[in-house]
Amino acid sequence: MDAGALAHLRVVEVGSGLAAAHAAKLLADLGADVVKVESPGGDVTRRLGPFPGGRPDPEASGLFLYLNANKRGVVLDLDAGSDRTRFGRLLDGADLLLHDVEPAKLAGYGLDPEGVLRGRPRLVAASISPFGLSGPYRDYKAYDLNLWNAGGIACLNGGGPGTDALPPLRTFGYQAMFQAGLNAAIASLGALYARDGSGTGQHVEISVQECLVTILELTYPFWPYCRLITSRLGYKPIQPLDFFACRDGWVFLCAVEEHQWKTFVEVMGDPAWAGVEMFADRLQRAAHWDALKPLIADWMAGQTVAELYGMLQRRRVPIAPVSTMGDLLSSEHLAARGFFVSFAHPHAGRHRMPGAPYHLTRTPWALRRPAPLLGQHTAEVFAEGARS
Amino acid sequence: MSHKPLAGIRVADFTWVWAGPFCTLQLAHLGAEVIRVETPQRPCVTRLLPPFADLEPGLNRSGYFNQYNQGKRSLSLNLKNPRGIEIARRLIERSDVVAENFAAGVMERMGLGYDDIRRLKPDVVMVSISGYGRSGPEKEFVSYGPATVPLAGFSAVTGYAGGPPMHVGISYGDPTAGLHAALAVLAALHHRRRTGEGQFIDVSLWEASASLLPDALLDHEMNGIDPSRDGNRHPRMAPHGVFRCAGEDRWVSIVVGDETEWRALCSAMEDPALAADPRFATLAERKRNEDGLEERIHQWTRSLAPDEVTRRLQAAGVAAFTTMTNQDLAEDPHLARRGFFVDLPHPEVGPRHHAGIPWRMSATPCTVESPAPCLGEHTRDVLERVLAYGPAEIDALAAAGALG
Repeated sequence: MDAGALAHLRVVEVGSGLAAAHAAKLLADLGADVVKVESPGGDVTRRLGPFPGGRPDPEASGLFLYLNANKRGVVLDLDAGSDRTRFGRLLDGADLLLHDVEPAKLAGYGLDPEGVLRGRPRLVAASISPFGLSGPYRDYKAYDLNLWNAGGIACLNGGGPGTDALPPLRTFGYQAMFQAGLNAAIASLGALYARDGSGTGQHVEISVQECLVTILELTYPFWPYCRLITSRLGYKPIQPLDFFACRDGWVFLCAVEEHQWKTFVEVMGDPAWAGVEMFADRLQRAAHWDALKPLIADWMAGQTVAELYGMLQRRRVPIAPVSTMGDLLSSEHLAARGFFVSFAHPHAGRHRMPGAPYHLTRTPWALRRPAPLLGQHTAEVFAEGARS
Repeated sequence: MSHKPLAGIRVADFTWVWAGPFCTLQLAHLGAEVIRVETPQRPCVTRLLPPFADLEPGLNRSGYFNQYNQGKRSLSLNLKNPRGIEIARRLIERSDVVAENFAAGVMERMGLGYDDIRRLKPDVVMVSISGYGRSGPEKEFVSYGPATVPLAGFSAVTGYAGGPPMHVGISYGDPTAGLHAALAVLAALHHRRRTGEGQFIDVSLWEASASLLPDALLDHEMNGIDPSRDGNRHPRMAPHGVFRCAGEDRWVSIVVGDETEWRALCSAMEDPALAADPRFATLAERKRNEDGLEERIHQWTRSLAPDEVTRRLQAAGVAAFTTMTNQDLAEDPHLARRGFFVDLPHPEVGPRHHAGIPWRMSATPCTVESPAPCLGEHTRDVLERVLAYGPAEIDALAAAGALG
């Protein structure tokens, strides 16, 4: 009944614990039956935390618990021949394989694009790798930070003009892998949709670097369109579009349309400086931002975040708080939409974590079970295999 | 040759700016027929934003628009004209998916909200993308892409140590919501194929983005603390940074994830003293002495080109990569060899390098078939072939001002 849109799919996931795990999580949360294969030593994300009380415990790592809820877990040693046979049996019964095993190991595990489909004409096999399965960087090693740089995003973030002593800056977390996971889930559901029509599965290859190049917004085309290099050191063409410190936290103000700026000036109480010629329009305000920003900042410093957010938003000025994690967890808006979900886990205890990133009216996102303990479902899953 | 995965699926695309068009771009990449409903009275924001080809502005000349609307068609309608709305309704009747990311209430005021269109097409899948979502106390709030990044929590945990909150460098909530929306549409299409049921999908930039901060949120939930802003560093790896190289503003990222990689880094740097230094002998020691560690590496990278550092470290089994600029990407031999970029001839700006599709399929190859449309380029064709209007009817609609 509310089994989820993808309850008909059986998915096998194996690999590094981040990109493929995220892709498989997205499908599991919509009802797919996902079997996660871990090595005897356990998934990498079991060691990444955060941990309750800061005490490392492979059964209580926050990142693992988030990425693997709604999945069942089995342990297989793919470097051992006997387990490789069992792994093959698991794939025989699957609709989709999602993996981010490194390219050099694929053939040995029987996961090379041709080999994995042999005898499994209906399987969709999706491979995620840092730079794809072809080209000179195929076997390059890369962590999330390297990919954020390789994909052209890191060079866009930093302190702005005059801060060239500071390096390009990463974004918190494992965003490169999460983006790749999203792309892999999309491509996989596309390939499965094709299979349900034609009866034929196929191999799908996803490059993390390429996924990131697709989200460079307007910055990438500055080269092919104007021969201009975009960087974190450039001036913004329009303002205000910046961070300000208030009495009790930070806000981000976007008042780039003329009516928004006028409203904002009114709310500040029409200070005399706001009327001067050098701040006459958004281009001028950007050109003289070094002079304007401190004037605005001075006023902002006396405000509180919540008051300012409510007051300016009611008057249609786009402003947002710089939400801390505590702000998010206590947001009335997110609570009203049921964003955070609570889970109880035998090792980690009871906690809230992000829930539905989308609301589907007929087949809602649902948390059905917490993440598996290491090897929790090995016997159960292989018993099913023996029956079928 | 096999059909593309979504061959036969038609998308009535009422989206604009970035999040919505990025959602429908995924569907176009998978072979759906995506028809963008545009209006010359209020063109897509990205048609009005740079970069313009050769710095010459024009509605069809923006690289931003042309990047995110590849492979789509453009139908020009005046949605303030009742006959324009009639055409939109006819398009929805003949579509499988309807996508929109207007401000709250806009589709409803045009009579194109989900409750209206499900009467026209009961099994339609409708996706609505917005900053705050279509319910909740802040649903009417104004959302701009750049503000979603701090709203969703990214800025509080991103920044240099001791410095202010920082951005991502792009309006990260937009593509993140666009991808989530595309994924939800695909799931809904799977469900529709099995049951015949359509549905409504509500995607918010805020929630789609915040779902990518699980580790920070769980740290607060489990321990009552937010991770502190710490530049490019990582709590469980060192070195984990971006280092200055020779050249103007050139940098390279280097990460060491375990002791094998640490020894490999020391040997690639040809620095036996570093390998022997007890201050860097274990992860705990390297974290404790990270300033000194980073300075040592910087002394080595500063005289080398970033690509040279990458080449030497990768040969030794260490994860390193150049901080790529847009020019570096456009000229990258690896991406070129993989055929990632698309440069189809566009009627106004000619062939330009665009980022292509980040996946390859072995049996149903997905390729971009056409460049982004000029505004209204396919109006007559869509009216005739998709919506079955006759030539005289089309002339009458144009005369009545329904086509914008």
